[in-house]
Amino acid sequence: MVMSQGSSSVPPASPTVEESQRLVREFIDDILINILDQVSLSPSESRPCITLRRRSNQTQCTINSQTRALEARLNDEAYHSHSWPGRTPFESWKFTVIIRILSIIDEAICTEQLISKRDIYYIDPAYFKSQATVNAVVDDLAFTIGVDRTFLNIEAASKGLVAGRFQLERESRVIVDASSGEDTMIPRVQGSDTIDIEGVRWVFIIEKEAVFHRLARSNYPKRAISGDGILITGKGYPDVSTREFAHQLFIASRRYDRPPHFYALMDSDPHGMAIMSTYKYGSMAHLHENARLSLPGLEWLGVRLTDAILASESPGAGRVLSLTANDRRKILAMLRKNPVWASDGPEREWVTELHRMLLLNVKAEIEILYEREGGLEAWIDRKLFRQE
Amino acid sequence: MSRQYLAWGSADNAHPVDIFSLAVTEKQVLSVSGAPSIKVHSTENTEFPLVQSIDQAHTLGCHHIVTDSSGTRAVSAGFDGNLKVWACNDGHWAADATTTASLASIHPWAIALSGDGQYLAGVSESGHVGVWDLNNEGAQIRDHETKGSFGTCIDLSADGRFIASGHENGAVYIFLTETGRMPFSLSGLVKPVRAVAFSPGGKILAAAGDSKVIVLYDTSSGEQIANLSGHSAWVLSLSWSSSGEYLLSSSFDGKVKVWSIDTKMCVATHSETEKAVWSVKWLPKTARSESFATAGANRSVAFYREATGG
Repeated sequence: MVMSQGSSSVPPASPTVEESQRLVREFIDDILINILDQVSLSPSESRPCITLRRRSNQTQCTINSQTRALEARLNDEAYHSHSWPGRTPFESWKFTVIIRILSIIDEAICTEQLISKRDIYYIDPAYFKSQATVNAVVDDLAFTIGVDRTFLNIEAASKGLVAGRFQLERESRVIVDASSGEDTMIPRVQGSDTIDIEGVRWVFIIEKEAVFHRLARSNYPKRAISGDGILITGKGYPDVSTREFAHQLFIASRRYDRPPHFYALMDSDPHGMAIMSTYKYGSMAHLHENARLSLPGLEWLGVRLTDAILASESPGAGRVLSLTANDRRKILAMLRKNPVWASDGPEREWVTELHRMLLLNVKAEIEILYEREGGLEAWIDRKLFRQE
Repeated sequence: MSRQYLAWGSADNAHPVDIFSLAVTEKQVLSVSGAPSIKVHSTENTEFPLVQSIDQAHTLGCHHIVTDSSGTRAVSAGFDGNLKVWACNDGHWAADATTTASLASIHPWAIALSGDGQYLAGVSESGHVGVWDLNNEGAQIRDHETKGSFGTCIDLSADGRFIASGHENGAVYIFLTETGRMPFSLSGLVKPVRAVAFSPGGKILAAAGDSKVIVLYDTSSGEQIANLSGHSAWVLSLSWSSSGEYLLSSSFDGKVKVWSIDTKMCVATHSETEKAVWSVKWLPKTARSESFATAGANRSVAFYREATGG
């Protein structure tokens, strides 16, 4: 057997760095030894096998009362064994895919290189057949071992951007300075790095890249009435690195006497609301990683339907839009599946916003605030003034 | 001439989220919200006590509730698209599972119930208007197709002769229930219509929505009789007093207005809240004083009565 199943009833506490590295090492070694043992048997008895723990069913999750992150309910896991030769060609192929990916990871760890899921896929696209195959195996491996996938030396190239009063120091040198006004890719923060956000009053988590650029170009992080700030965008649904960065910023900000507020700036539509929920509580696709990615202190700056409807009344302003059939389905799916959206859950104002969208059959983009007097910036200034 | 309506009491925080619809019977007000339960408040004393909570009525919350005139039957429409029928016995509401089951395959958005409780009218998200016979296994007796615009609101006249539906594209239609004919497609509102209501005698239809003006139509000719202007935000709900003398309206900015049909003037404005008032309803007239209930985003049901001796 390649792993102990006795530990499955205990929620995976976050292991330390050393522990994680040891767990990965042991897992890989165990599997290789198991295969070698099996291969040394006679062909009729030989049956090498890998058992992976499956991520939980999406409908079965809950909000952890301590970390405020979405996570899987306990005992809600499935095990799946892959052996060679399998009963079907598909099973045999799946077994070799897992072995192949493990050996790539093994090499990456031994040579201390970081690779992405995309890199793995492009090593042999014909063999892996799809990026999704690689993603699923990597996620299942990380989940089975009980470590974050960075300990498999796998990182996703981030699509997120940051601007404003943010500096990252490594070995007493500033390696990232986001205040230049140019686009700064979200950096990968390492354990020994220092995040410097001294004096920052607010951090905006922005859904849309276009809105991020507008605020960055108008130098809003330096000109806001409420003080200096930082802009972050994940360009729609954020990837794990963007969420991890926002989380690290949040943790770093807690050491200041007056920590900055973290605000979400989203469209008033089901996707905007779902993206805000992904930043704050995590996503249903990464339940085992949410605790180190969530932003429990995230507040909702806007744009709310009430603000958008008011703005749409001013001359020259854009209009609110009708929901599409897909929007309505998306809202119902959110209300049904995810405990964040329960009417007796943690975010009643968010739930109410979804209900109002359904009732009025309207949504609005944040750009509707552009035409207001003073534009988006003046609207934010007023809003922040009221929230402080 | 202005009239005074005094705050009469309220059921505070009746629901944990926005209250979207009210239905009244002789002695009760039923309220529904984005939360699963239906709350029943007694109007027999000014404490307006909660007398029943129908928990888990609609898992995803509920956006419409309607009652018949005798207060023995209610129908509610949930955000999940399902209808539920309720029966009242001695002031206590219970699920009418048989009638509910007969409506399992229909999913109208807005609903209205005939005075005798036998006919349910509904308009769907795709603009379809239907009528179903609740005393005959939910059989559909009318099906009107419109131009496919989202059906936001519907009403049945008290005598059951007319149905009116309001739509997102500004259209208002009147149908004759007897023949199923649509004599009128009413003009005047270009923006989404949020509320339609027949006067008690069925002679006038009031319609209003995002254009903020309330339009009164003559139901026999389809002509516009009057425009009632004064709201400065989307109009969300309309209700006629039992005598037909007054029309009650509420809007997205929290204003509640009472209009005199005689003078076409606003005779009272209430602005206790800045949050949307989703539903307003006159209570059945008792003694000589008129009273009404309002509810919305402030999560409470508020009651007002006419100042007597004025």
